[in-house]
Amino acid sequence: MQTVSAVMAHVLGNIINLTGPGHYVNWGFIQLSVANLVVIGLMVVVFFAAILIPFKRPGGGDR
Amino acid sequence: MTAATDAATPRRRRSFKQDRDVEEWHGAYHPYDLIKEGIIAFVVVSLLVVGLAVIFSSPDDTPVTVKSWSTANPVDFATTAITELDGTSGTATYGPPYNSTTGASQSIGPISPESWFGVHHPIDTATDYVLAPLQTLPNTPEVQAAVSEYKSASPTQQAAWTKAYEDAVTKASFDNGKLTVPAGDYGPVATIIAGLTSMARSGALDGALLSTRQFYGADYTKPLLFLADGTYLADLGAAQHLSGDQWGMMNETGNYPGQAWLWLYTMWYQVPPFKTSANADFQVWGLMLVLTVLLALVPFIPGLRSIPRWTRIYRLIWRRHYKDLAAAAPGGTSP
Repeated sequence: MQTVSAVMAHVLGNIINLTGPGHYVNWGFIQLSVANLVVIGLMVVVFFAAILIPFKRPGGGDR
Repeated sequence: MTAATDAATPRRRRSFKQDRDVEEWHGAYHPYDLIKEGIIAFVVVSLLVVGLAVIFSSPDDTPVTVKSWSTANPVDFATTAITELDGTSGTATYGPPYNSTTGASQSIGPISPESWFGVHHPIDTATDYVLAPLQTLPNTPEVQAAVSEYKSASPTQQAAWTKAYEDAVTKASFDNGKLTVPAGDYGPVATIIAGLTSMARSGALDGALLSTRQFYGADYTKPLLFLADGTYLADLGAAQHLSGDQWGMMNETGNYPGQAWLWLYTMWYQVPPFKTSANADFQVWGLMLVLTVLLALVPFIPGLRSIPRWTRIYRLIWRRHYKDLAAAAPGGTSP
């Protein structure tokens, strides 16, 4: 029973393990973690999606 | 002024400025369910939070304690402990709020908030980190005698002992659970530091530094400052890119994303003059305060408030509306 709960806790709590040596990129004095770069990239994608995806017009159609 | 005189002297109308004033909307109105949108956003974000937590979990590094430090690097611990005893450590010379070291407070010209608030969390490193914890140890007559001898000696004698030990401890070694320092005239100091190292390795020093009069002890100031005075914690932080000169403010341990929104705050620490300034913390705080006020006042700052009109991003968002306007206009162009 304990083994099952331990396995479930591991699977449900951490499918992708991000613990370990971090990865970083450098441009001159700028130093950025790959994880932060991915999040910033996703924010940029959401920003442009919010601008470009058309609003629904009331009663159908796009605005 | 009565209504009659008010009517008799018409108020001078302000000229319309497109960055300051708003035209009244004469177009069509449509109902919009804000509550429905709020609930949808709440559900979507909740599912995202739970889903991402299941997939990635969260950073969970083993906590660094005085015990783990003194076990992993007892020589660094002893080297730091002697600076706490002789009052030359970073904490001992920090100034307010821990002590009153002259000229230690950060300032911009005459402005020095650290000094204004004074010493409100006093820490006497020799007593709080070394002598008082050792006095709580039971069944250690040799250590207690050394503490008594040290406390009853003159300041000049104490300084001579600690100076000799501080010079020698850099050549110390740790073998078979014992700190070995080259022979010298250290008086009771060698026994004191060896006793404190043993106490730290047993975990008793963590407990002694956390002891408070409150039922739930959550004040980690003392052990954290002690850890920060050594090189062990700093080396661990640097290995994880968490130091101030590594954009550490926006980083997290491992491969987890950190506080990307602090990019501007931490960027200043990487560039002159803040990079080498002894007052960098206060200067960066002051600069960010000015920039935050500027951001809050954008609607009132001519030029700055016109940027949205110049960049015309709003026309991209409402492109269908402006297309309809252009189609309806006699010349085929929208305003």
